[in-house]
Amino acid sequence: MGKEKHYFSITKEMCPHQSKTMEGGASKAIIDQSLPADCLARSRKAWRRSKKQMVYHSSFVDEEGITKACGCPLLPLKTHIKGPAPASDPDKIDIVDEAITFFRANVFFRNFDIKSSADKLLIYLTFYINVALKRLEGCRTLAVGTKAIINLGLEKVPVPGEPGFPFPGLFALPQSQNDAELFRNYLRQIREETSGRLLSCAYRPNGTPNKWWLAFAKRKFMNIVVL
Amino acid sequence: MDAASRPAVVIDNGTGYTKVGYAGNVEPSFVLPTVAAINESFLNQSDGKNTGNYLAQYNAGIMADLDFFIGDEALSLYRSSGIYSLSYPIQHSKVTNWDTMEKFWQQCIYNYLSCDPEDHYFLLTESPSSSPEDREYMGEIMFETFDVPGLYIAVQPVLAISAGCSTDKPQMTGVVVDIGDGATHVVPVVDGYVIGSSIKSFPVSGNDVTQFVSQLLRERGELIPPEDSLEIARKVKEMYCYTSSDIVKEYKKHDKKPDKYIKQWSGVKPMTGVPFSFDIGYERFLGPEVFFHPEIYMDDYDTSLSDVIDMCVQSAPIDTRRGLYKNVVLSGGSTMFKGFQKRLQTNLKKTVDDRLAASNARLGADVKSNPVEVNVVSHPVQRFAVWFGGSVVGSLPEFYESCHTKEDYDEYGASICRTSPIFKGMY
Repeated sequence: MGKEKHYFSITKEMCPHQSKTMEGGASKAIIDQSLPADCLARSRKAWRRSKKQMVYHSSFVDEEGITKACGCPLLPLKTHIKGPAPASDPDKIDIVDEAITFFRANVFFRNFDIKSSADKLLIYLTFYINVALKRLEGCRTLAVGTKAIINLGLEKVPVPGEPGFPFPGLFALPQSQNDAELFRNYLRQIREETSGRLLSCAYRPNGTPNKWWLAFAKRKFMNIVVL
Repeated sequence: MDAASRPAVVIDNGTGYTKVGYAGNVEPSFVLPTVAAINESFLNQSDGKNTGNYLAQYNAGIMADLDFFIGDEALSLYRSSGIYSLSYPIQHSKVTNWDTMEKFWQQCIYNYLSCDPEDHYFLLTESPSSSPEDREYMGEIMFETFDVPGLYIAVQPVLAISAGCSTDKPQMTGVVVDIGDGATHVVPVVDGYVIGSSIKSFPVSGNDVTQFVSQLLRERGELIPPEDSLEIARKVKEMYCYTSSDIVKEYKKHDKKPDKYIKQWSGVKPMTGVPFSFDIGYERFLGPEVFFHPEIYMDDYDTSLSDVIDMCVQSAPIDTRRGLYKNVVLSGGSTMFKGFQKRLQTNLKKTVDDRLAASNARLGADVKSNPVEVNVVSHPVQRFAVWFGGSVVGSLPEFYESCHTKEDYDEYGASICRTSPIFKGMY
């Protein structure tokens, strides 16, 4: 693929003695009083540095009872598409709604501090929406756009560990072949669902493209060149 | 006729605009872009010609010196005729082209103000990042070319703080956030003296916001004639941009009520005269967002303006910090966005409160620190705060004594201008 630069783990920069409270909680610096003074100073500086981002985070921080694949919870979706995702309440917002709502803001940013594993899914979906918009760039009508998106959906979906996956290091590597397949199916399902909802945003009711959304096709999320 | 009985001339040279006027006035008499259009065609004729035409060449040389325009006239002449080339003497708040600067001042004094420089004391301004050599050149040009009786070179942030002086209460301690067209500086001033080591510069300024707005318009495919795109983006920025408190909420507001938020712009193409129009939407609030999230526009900088102000105060001496937080003064055209002051205050207050809470948590329940008051001050003359401060300083009776005088210049030379009373002791 093209040049890839990603800086999502600002928390890695923090002092190594910090407790890794990445799963299910805010990972802000917890400064231990018993440490020597220069460590305190360093951690204070790191705390100040890690506060840089006010990027939009997912609200799905609670991961009790959710199946995980590649270290990522398979969050429920409001979808008719078949796949491993559990069904979500039709009145609540799901992760795809969040990804679309936050897309126009998050697409500008390059650094993320990850508060929960749901944020990783959010980043992946933001990238996917960027890819999908790029495919829709030349499509003048909803019909042509739908065809382009279906083609995108037929392409192979890479999982972490495979060469085509856009964020190596974001997700944990799959434990087993089953794990990988489960994650692949989940990704395929969530991608199809996102494409469907995106088409309703990217095209106006009369079928013409909505320039306010398609402008973001030109944005390069995290500087990753999309082919 | 004593020069001290006449009002001093106050000239505030900025990267984008120069503000010119007399001390004692509330606002500058002239605000003109800092640009000069120079006629280059005379200079080109001198290659390959014989000395036989010496008289013609001599006259051409003189003509080239006299044939130039500044400000808005320069911009319009540059567009309409091809023989003028534009020159911007000030880049990023530093003078880079002293010849053009001299010409610029010449036109300001003789054409715009129509005054005799020998009869007035002059107050010029300089950026906090300027070197003593710059002050020396300034002094040399003023005393040699214009024969001024006295010159005072003021540091812009101190003038901005004195602008606040005459409004409510005298407060010569505070952090000046000066956001101009070419450079942004965060300067702590304590009792009228700049704490030089704590000056922080911020790489985003008014010009960057204009570029970002123009980039967003281009990405959306709006039909704007390319030769005018920066000009139009600048006007869009000045007329329609505002600061939001939260980007996602703004997007939702735009989606719900497009008629209220999306504005139309119609203009006429300069070359062909064909009218065109386009929509203005998200750039209204994304433009000023660059100050709070610089990484949406530039690649390697991601500290927000409120964090830079915080770092600046933290690097100042500890006994001054409360006073500095209490009086954060905004100055400069790019602070005029609607909602800018409120957003900056909210962000800065949050940073300060979080740090206080963390320190309280560390120390336990017995020791509670006093809450720090954070105030971002905006005042009616924000746009020309520096010029207004200069006008205030220039009307004080002590002003005339603190100038560098022509007699001193004749005696000691241009080096008298090197020392600035504000930075005394540093050079």
